[in-house]
Amino acid sequence: MNSNDLDLYKQFVKTTFKMRYKGSILGFLWVLLKPFFVFLILFVIFSHMSSTAGGLTSQQYAVYLLSGLIVYTFFNEGMIWGMGSIMERAQLIIKINFKRDVVVASSLSMALINFSINLLIVLVVALILNISISFLGLAYILLISLAMLLGLYGISFFTSIWLVHVRDLQHIMELVLQLLFYASAVFFPVEMIPEKYRFIVYYNPMARFVKAVREALIYGQITDLKFVLVALVGSIVLVFLGRVYFNKHIKKIAEHF
Amino acid sequence: MEENLAIKVENLTKKFRIPEHGSPTTLQERFVRPLSKKNMVDFVALKDLSFEVKKGEFFSVIGPNGAGKSTLLKLISGIYIPDDGSIDVDGKLVPFLELGVGFNPDLSARENVYLNGTILGLTEKEIDESVDDIFEFAELKEFEDLSIKKFSSGMQVRLAFSIAIRVKSDILVLDEVLAVGDGEFQKKCFAYFDEIVGKKTILFVSHGLGSVKRYSDRVLWLKEDKTYEIGDPKEMVDRYSQTF
Repeated sequence: MNSNDLDLYKQFVKTTFKMRYKGSILGFLWVLLKPFFVFLILFVIFSHMSSTAGGLTSQQYAVYLLSGLIVYTFFNEGMIWGMGSIMERAQLIIKINFKRDVVVASSLSMALINFSINLLIVLVVALILNISISFLGLAYILLISLAMLLGLYGISFFTSIWLVHVRDLQHIMELVLQLLFYASAVFFPVEMIPEKYRFIVYYNPMARFVKAVREALIYGQITDLKFVLVALVGSIVLVFLGRVYFNKHIKKIAEHF
Repeated sequence: MEENLAIKVENLTKKFRIPEHGSPTTLQERFVRPLSKKNMVDFVALKDLSFEVKKGEFFSVIGPNGAGKSTLLKLISGIYIPDDGSIDVDGKLVPFLELGVGFNPDLSARENVYLNGTILGLTEKEIDESVDDIFEFAELKEFEDLSIKKFSSGMQVRLAFSIAIRVKSDILVLDEVLAVGDGEFQKKCFAYFDEIVGKKTILFVSHGLGSVKRYSDRVLWLKEDKTYEIGDPKEMVDRYSQTF
């Protein structure tokens, strides 16, 4: 990456950031308000059920729900924005030759920024609710985030190209992500799922990330380390494969918009 | 490639696969017409084209709409890749295919200078150093903080032109940009071109035959039937003029 690529990346992030909340009165506050209201709705509806079925106190459920939401939101935004990155810059791509990966990286950075802010808020909430956070637990959460970020980056190399060829992917992805929301035990305790269906959670990487983050946050425990490490290695491989695929297909992309 | 060449194009062919009845980009269209792939036809934009541009040469491309002028510029700029043949470019090339690429109407003029400048290849530091000169040259000093959607199209083009000429380049690819702004600003633009003619390699595409004759060293005439001629500007322009 030469210095212009880095500056270009910064400009793209800055512009997207400014544009996303431009013109709204509360502006950037929406990054915080939207998840907060989603949280509030789910909390009011499900906190009672969770305390009976999952044995969580309402304080614990609040952190349980919040942490699930932010991990899911990170994945959701990363998938959608990463996939849309090339399409979104079509006007630019057909007119000028610049390093195209900058576009993918900058779109993902938006998701990362939101996630970082959300994570900070969850930590503050946890402290207010008297849930002590261990240093080790926090480090583990960062490791999980890294695995997710790299995974999203790798996937985006493929999906950003595919979307140009098959626009339906936009809608399909939204449905899949919606399904994933319910299949990842974001807002209900895993115990609420009947035993014979729990394999869904087991084979769903998203659910395992969510669970590992929660246990690190609430109990300060490092769980499912093997899975996280495999995911990390897998993500790194995916980034390499993705780059090769991306570089091969991006050259012709200007003809397909 | 030989030392004294800036651009060398050899046996260049570019085809586009275009659908006969609308592009099947959604699954619905694929379901409705599953065999629609068979309806794709090749559209030949450029065929077996070869030419060389020397360093410091002012080389113009003329021809009717659909002859492949824009395709050629996009190929040389690296936006499209050739199907056949090769393109060699020696030096940093800046395409002026369209001024103000990436301008964001909701951002201020100053923010847009940074955005557009980095897209064209400037670093943030270089823009820091030249941003005042850019507004000076564009004669838009007092509008720095105004969002660009409030600019007239003339003002936008003036700003865009002023940014583009800051980009350090060896080869300029120009597409109809000589006609920007009002008379006063045009004089400035021509003064700029007079200054760089002979120093930079310029590849120029225009329907403004007057400026083609005035500046060019040689002219490439692309024809609708995919043949071409290269020659003296006066002769090419005069003969091209007779075709309509």
